[in-house]
Amino acid sequence: MTRLALEGIKVVELATMVAGPYCSKMLADMGADVIKVESPKGDPARQVGPFPKSGPHPERSALFLYNNTSKRGVTLNLDVAEGFDALKRLIKWADVLIDGLPFQRLKNLELDWEAISLLNPSIVYTSITPYGLTGPRAGVKGDELTLIHAGSLGNLLPTRVENIDRAPIKTGGYFVGYHGGLTAAVATLAAVLGQRTTGQGRAVDISLYEVILAMQRVSIAGNRYQRSNWSRVPDRPPAMGRMETKDGYVVIGTPEDHHFIAFRELMGNPEWIAGKDWESLAYRTHHMMDVKNELEGWMRQQNKHDIHHRAAKMGIAVGPINTAPEVLADEQYAARGYFTDVDHPEVGKHRYAGWPYQMSATPAQVNRPAPLLGQHNQEVFCNELGYSAEEFKQLQLAGAI
Amino acid sequence: MEKNQLPLEGIRVADFCWVYAGPYCTMLLGCLGAEVIKVEGHKRTDLTRHSVIWPLEDPAPTPMPVNQSMALNSLNLNKKSVTLDLSTPEGTAVAKRLVAVSDIVVDNMRAGSMKRMGMSYEELRKVKSDIIVLSSSSRGQGGPQKDYAGYATIHHAIGGGAYITGYPDDAPCHSLADVDLMNATTAAYAILAALYHREQTGEGQFIDFSQIEGVTSLLGESLLGYEMNGEIPERMGNAHPQYAPHNLYRCWGVDRWLALEVHSDEEFASLARVIGQPGLAEDSRFADMASRKKNEAALNQIIEEWTHERDRDWVVDEFCQAGLAAAPSRNGHDIYADPHLHERGAFVTVDHPELGELELVGAPWKMSGADIEIQHAPLLGEHNDYVLRELIGLSEAELADLRKKEVIM
Repeated sequence: MTRLALEGIKVVELATMVAGPYCSKMLADMGADVIKVESPKGDPARQVGPFPKSGPHPERSALFLYNNTSKRGVTLNLDVAEGFDALKRLIKWADVLIDGLPFQRLKNLELDWEAISLLNPSIVYTSITPYGLTGPRAGVKGDELTLIHAGSLGNLLPTRVENIDRAPIKTGGYFVGYHGGLTAAVATLAAVLGQRTTGQGRAVDISLYEVILAMQRVSIAGNRYQRSNWSRVPDRPPAMGRMETKDGYVVIGTPEDHHFIAFRELMGNPEWIAGKDWESLAYRTHHMMDVKNELEGWMRQQNKHDIHHRAAKMGIAVGPINTAPEVLADEQYAARGYFTDVDHPEVGKHRYAGWPYQMSATPAQVNRPAPLLGQHNQEVFCNELGYSAEEFKQLQLAGAI
Repeated sequence: MEKNQLPLEGIRVADFCWVYAGPYCTMLLGCLGAEVIKVEGHKRTDLTRHSVIWPLEDPAPTPMPVNQSMALNSLNLNKKSVTLDLSTPEGTAVAKRLVAVSDIVVDNMRAGSMKRMGMSYEELRKVKSDIIVLSSSSRGQGGPQKDYAGYATIHHAIGGGAYITGYPDDAPCHSLADVDLMNATTAAYAILAALYHREQTGEGQFIDFSQIEGVTSLLGESLLGYEMNGEIPERMGNAHPQYAPHNLYRCWGVDRWLALEVHSDEEFASLARVIGQPGLAEDSRFADMASRKKNEAALNQIIEEWTHERDRDWVVDEFCQAGLAAAPSRNGHDIYADPHLHERGAFVTVDHPELGELELVGAPWKMSGADIEIQHAPLLGEHNDYVLRELIGLSEAELADLRKKEVIM
């Protein structure tokens, strides 16, 4: 068996839903030894779904199953002395602590950064909160909807609407959670690299608000310094973007002149965009709206998958707006072996989304399915932390696990 | 124990990236302490150097000077710039000498471009045996669509994100540059994992990154849900499958909205108090999560009747003080008005030689012992001397010859 990239990194995850769990899933699928600590009630993601047709069940939530692959799972009641003590022993064991608990939950247990680094001076402590650990809004609640809008992404969506009276929207799915998890994974792993050379522990403070803000860095700077005026209602005619076809939608982009010339050829060189003028971006920017109806009329005659391939052959970037089953059936994903089969004791074998990075020496993989609630209590407390049979029984009796 | 060493101190990155998805990846590595050398052909520079000034009174937009676009300046902080004509064998020979003194190579050209220039992973590892190379492309380096072109918006569409974004009664919509920056972040993660592996084993590797797959990996629950129950996930606007209220509410003024999401009964009772209708918490239509979701439309109307004649930021403060998750739907202008961001140092100020002081968004994390002075995005060829003479060690005769052949600027 090939060596995994992050073999030997020990991670304790105290997190729920998406951001913290996705961060440590990324580490776990690369070989880190991740122990997920849940309250005895379990990660709320277990209640969220989507679920199989059989209905809601805490071991069958797709949100939980996807974000917790390759981890071992334990339960701990941190409000019981024995449970809190077990957490401290986990912290001493770990190289990394991922904390996605509500703001100051650990601090209220007298486990702030100072206390954590006393327990384990070389630990990397990554905290993920809506607004960060400092500043006047630290402690304010926030989640998917509020943070997408706070960070100025929501205000740009839906892209290219014509009616400003309709509210801006969020992107679909768990955008904030996943992006937060990604960003936390980068910062955490970088800190671990430093830890390996210098033994230095670090605190990483991830504000999900700033994660969204960072992705809007170009439009924010453009608005301030170069008089651009980004809005969901465009201040200039669309270069193209989303268009309707006979059987769905595509997104098309022809930013450079040669793209547009190729696209014109693909359309059979219609008369309404004939002439040299149309070959200049500046001209098109000012005149695209004049031919909007003709363009859209042509596109409505096309089939979305057919036009994707025909355009690509001419060097034009077009993408079909795919549904979940269309992504799962896509030839390109299949050819690259993107999806990965995972067999879970409660839901059986299914295809899971894989990883966008194919690594020649250390490919990522699902090392085990998401843990059942408390599945690895005995294994972790007795084997990893050295609890005796008596001590373990004490944990159970105290209601700590 | 040596304190306050930057996490990636001593790591050098040869950066053959352009536009958004590549440059932001290497910028993140730079923010962690790596030395990033941005390589551009002076005859074919980064597309972000070719934007136009807009809006203008003039009928024809004016091209932006090469060092001044905000895309360039926001996505290339902390880098050094060298210009090399990579379409010539002399140019790639110099590039390989840079690779020989680097740890990481990143590009986001069309799949296969590096190979065509004689800089495939196999070639590069001949000059640096433990090199880590990441090539980021639209659909990946293999497969039937490897030559297809794409942009952020298109990747969001193909990957499955656009279909579930939008109002349920309207067309789907793609997201924007954030998709590129997300893929850049994911790519940075893969590079760090490879770097960790190299530190442990001495082994480098090649990473083939697909940007459509980057989108799909963030929709894992949606695809797995379909796998398990056969139901196609659809658009929901701002709504949530279980929670209500969970929406945007109009406030006083033009295009002023606030976002509010209520998860628990306790939060709903607080909301009812703040809007002066504490009785709502006992109203059977809104008594628990399921009934609130069922009567969401009526609930939204009650809330908006209260918000629409009040100031957005005032209402947000009232809600937040009551312990609710509420936020303004900020636009790119009023984001600078948030004192929270300033107090946390979310913006960095750089002194740009042509534009003066710029206040830009900094790194998306705070890390103890890793404070770094952020440098402005490099001027085109600003570090030619340092890179070509000091790093690579070209002689005066070599430099003169390359200049004559227009391989360097």
